[in-house]
Amino acid sequence: MGGEGRPGGRTRPGLRTASSAGRRAGVPPNAAIGLGLLACVTAIALAAPALVPAETLDPTRVTAPVNQPPSWAHWLGTDPSGRDVAGLLAWGARVSLLVGVASSVLAVVLGTSVGLAAGHARGWLEAALLRVIDFFVVVPGLVLALALSAVLQPGVWTIVAAIGLTSWSTLARVVRAQTMSIEARPSVERVRALGASGWHVLGRHVLPALGPLVLAHANLAVGMAIIMESTLAFLGLSDPLAPSWGAMLREASETGAATAGFWWFVLPPGLAIVAVVLAFTLVGRGFERSLTVGLGGR
Amino acid sequence: MAELRWRDVSVEYRAGRPGTARARRGEPEASGVLAVDGVSLRVPAGATVGLAGESGCGKTTLALSALRLLPRSARVRGEILLDGENVRDLSFGRLRAVRWTSASVVFQGAASSLNPVRSVGWQIAEALRLHPGADWIGRRGRRARVEKLLGSVGLSPARAGAFPHELSGGQRQRVLIAMALACDPQIVIADEPTSALDADVAARIQDTLGALVRERGLSLLLISHDLPMLARACERLVVMQAGRIVEEGPSADVLEHARHPYTRRLAAASLAVGDRSVRRPRSRPPTGTGGRLEASGVTVDLAGRGVRTRAVAEASLAIERGEIVALVGPSGAGKTTLARAMLGLQGVTSGKVLFDGRPLPRGAALRAFRRRVQFVPQSPDAALSPRQTVWDAVAEGLRIHRVPGDERTLVEDALRAAELEPTERLLGALPSELSGGQRQRVVIAGALALNPELLVADEPVSSLDATVRAEIVALLAHLRDARGLGALVITHDRGLAWALADRIAVMRGGRIVGVGGVEDVLLGG
Amino acid sequence: MSVRRAASRVVGTLVSLGMVAVLGFFLFRVLPGDPVLTLTRGRPVTPGEVARLRHEFGLDRPLVTQFVDYAASLLRGDLGRSYFYDQPVARLIAERVGPTLLLTGAALVLSVSLGVWLGQWAGWRRGSAFDRAATAAAVVGWSVPAFWLGLLLLMAFGGPLPTGGMVTPGSDASGAALAWDVARHLVLPALTLAAVQFAQYTLTMRASVLGELGEGYLTTARAKGLPEDGVRARHVLPNALLPTVTLVFLMLGQVIGGAIAVESVFSWPGLGYLAYQALSAPDLPLLQGTFLVFSATAVVSNALADVVYRLIDPRLRGT
Repeated sequence: MGGEGRPGGRTRPGLRTASSAGRRAGVPPNAAIGLGLLACVTAIALAAPALVPAETLDPTRVTAPVNQPPSWAHWLGTDPSGRDVAGLLAWGARVSLLVGVASSVLAVVLGTSVGLAAGHARGWLEAALLRVIDFFVVVPGLVLALALSAVLQPGVWTIVAAIGLTSWSTLARVVRAQTMSIEARPSVERVRALGASGWHVLGRHVLPALGPLVLAHANLAVGMAIIMESTLAFLGLSDPLAPSWGAMLREASETGAATAGFWWFVLPPGLAIVAVVLAFTLVGRGFERSLTVGLGGR
Repeated sequence: MAELRWRDVSVEYRAGRPGTARARRGEPEASGVLAVDGVSLRVPAGATVGLAGESGCGKTTLALSALRLLPRSARVRGEILLDGENVRDLSFGRLRAVRWTSASVVFQGAASSLNPVRSVGWQIAEALRLHPGADWIGRRGRRARVEKLLGSVGLSPARAGAFPHELSGGQRQRVLIAMALACDPQIVIADEPTSALDADVAARIQDTLGALVRERGLSLLLISHDLPMLARACERLVVMQAGRIVEEGPSADVLEHARHPYTRRLAAASLAVGDRSVRRPRSRPPTGTGGRLEASGVTVDLAGRGVRTRAVAEASLAIERGEIVALVGPSGAGKTTLARAMLGLQGVTSGKVLFDGRPLPRGAALRAFRRRVQFVPQSPDAALSPRQTVWDAVAEGLRIHRVPGDERTLVEDALRAAELEPTERLLGALPSELSGGQRQRVVIAGALALNPELLVADEPVSSLDATVRAEIVALLAHLRDARGLGALVITHDRGLAWALADRIAVMRGGRIVGVGGVEDVLLGG
Repeated sequence: MSVRRAASRVVGTLVSLGMVAVLGFFLFRVLPGDPVLTLTRGRPVTPGEVARLRHEFGLDRPLVTQFVDYAASLLRGDLGRSYFYDQPVARLIAERVGPTLLLTGAALVLSVSLGVWLGQWAGWRRGSAFDRAATAAAVVGWSVPAFWLGLLLLMAFGGPLPTGGMVTPGSDASGAALAWDVARHLVLPALTLAAVQFAQYTLTMRASVLGELGEGYLTTARAKGLPEDGVRARHVLPNALLPTVTLVFLMLGQVIGGAIAVESVFSWPGLGYLAYQALSAPDLPLLQGTFLVFSATAVVSNALADVVYRLIDPRLRGT
């Protein structure tokens, strides 16, 4: 059980270590809602450049008055530099999704390979990998990501690297435990006694059994990465050229929008973050559930 | 004195509540499972009744229904009379008062029946606290009573402060017996009280329980799958199959003149040491050509949690084609570790494992060895990957060794050799769709597909019901006689060794303490 | 706990602390290439100033020498000098420890009690409306960024309650009046932090309770005549609390680090706010100092979790 660093220092909700991989059951309704929501957000993110041309969000070129409440011209009002909040929101989806997915891919690849290696290896290599995993599980991820993005050149890929490099350890630990338990199973013992090589065991038995677990974990990881990205942006660590939800909230906070009651650019970015994170979490929990259901209670 | 009586009782488990995933997908709700079907059974005051049956026959459900302990998904019909009162009609307060004072239960699987974070003394005293009695007043009275109870089941009173994990399986079972007797009930229901224990420990616990029941004049309902054991312990026997009572009568009658074929199967399935009618010694001497696996002075140290333990100490053992060697001993004796070392699945600390006189090879040559010596792991439920079909599971060895020939034919031949038919219907089945006995046959078929010379089988029948067990025993004996297959069979069950083996090795505390012919070792000592 | 086990645990913790120190050095001295450039990013500086700064930070010496110096000062408790405040980093940090402990402690008490209570009943009444509501609340709470929730609370209650700091500026209240003032300032940040944290305690507690429901010892307890409330309180809870208690200790370090965003929103004068100021300056020595303190706290609380788990679970006592 380890703390994955994220704002407020929370771990993934209820990701139990499943004892075995199961066949996929039907998609649970909550997961379906999550998938639908994600499809919508992805479509908006992809269409953003067409819907809202980038130059309309250039603070030096906007003509609209600042801090306008929602109107027909600006559905969600304007921000302190007169930019359209709805447009910013659409563009922000691009950063959130990109960073969330890319850093999770990095974390999942890293976590799965280190976890597999640590579960499979014996002797000093196992001990060394284990120590590294444990260390990264313990060090607060947000603090580490904060330090990384502070010292590297600012930019989207720095954020991706900072989040990816700090959030692989929990998965590595889970994968290691699973690998060890799978390799100790009589079914794998039987296959090894049949003459199977280590690669055969890994490829045909361990990886397929890990699949659903990693998938469930990846979905939860994307949600966490998105929260971490917005937190970093809120703290001032983001690509200054790409509008993001976290950066919008930073602006809202710095210009005193919250205390002034300008709800139209405090509420929407936060709601967008919650919706997307919730969607990924629901999909992840759906996977996790179908994984436990598929086990038939074993 | 109180009597316990079931009158036309049926118990049905609802498959799932409305609103489950199944219902939402628009599939019909599966009809419930009828666990107990119209059972009438009487345990008269002061009598001992044995209830026999295999797993899933409804005997545990029946036992739990006596104190209304069934889960909410159970629907009960009929009357359950405890001391003349229908348990189903009792108010919850009255029910609580009746529980443990009129009737108590010795549960099966002591490891999970005790709370892991409470001391056993606390757990026994809890029953006393819930049911105040004149003999145990106040904290000190309860404490004295707990110590007396522990003494009566042969445990030191000092063990009251122990936590369940600090006790052995036998000791935990004794604690459960002490707990059941805490409030002086008149009826004790014992549900498989000894089935998880090694044979000699089980026998001692049965003696303890029997003595206490006689001494206190209790009514006892003893539930087990072991018909001869029940016959020894009880005056009457009741045999249950698939939720119904198929036979009942005085113990000796039922055992010796069973009328129902199921009872006869159940009686025949128990393999008693010394009973020559169940022995299946080999029909011809070993051919002596090839296929000799030998452990020579093997020592294995296992490292776990930073502590090294010596699992196997200087063990020497050999098997060859055409003979079945049984490796017997209590759990924790190092049997499985020795077998894994002989298979090359576990490194040895010192000593040698030889195959045909040569040390076990490494690398590619090890694969050739693996083809000739096959492994049947413990528990067929876990030995098959839940996602592999029967075909895939049996064909895996063929694929690993790239055996030429039509895969389907080879797989079907292996299934037939393991006496699994009809093959066409089974090929696509997943393990979850098979019975325990079928799963074990699939595992054996997977081994036979490679046409091995030797088989190492770890507790091949321990998780199976008695009747299925007899079939697997017959299969192994047949494979030896027909194919000249040699086998090392690991078991804690001396009856199995007696029935099946040609030679026997006894292991205790990591050492082989005796090797020899079956009759010499099992009857001579 | 056996002596051997305790010793290996202590050594492991020391190794982890050493790794924190090495990581701190690597992050702030090696990775940036030239920390001075990071430090002076976006500021007009002359080459002479850069050279002076490089010398001042000892960057003109070989890395090994730098590391030895760094390690030696760490052991003396010297975390360097803040560029922005022109004060020793260690002193700045020491001043901020109290407010952070107050905030995270209050949030911890709130979130753990709420989480344990909700999770316990949700698991016990699995599938009920209460369970669904509690689980939904936890999953939503888990998805909310802490800083945004802080902004919302500011927007909603910013009038009646103070919006920033720990005491009213210019107030010279003392005693009970001071405590009241601090408490009023504490309400919003503590609520924010608690609201985003209770989720994991709820979900862990619920899962632990569910894990116990099928256990045979509950049937034993019922058979003995124990009423349902007794089964829950005397048998399920002692078992189900074990993972949650450990989680609390595991999270101690994470929570303190996680307070950065919340302290920034409410200008709460704690370590997180200090880190935020270091970030905005940018002030690398200060950032490094807070990084070391956050990480070391996490390492120590993790070791504490292990000790606590061994103390409260009788199965692990003496192992």
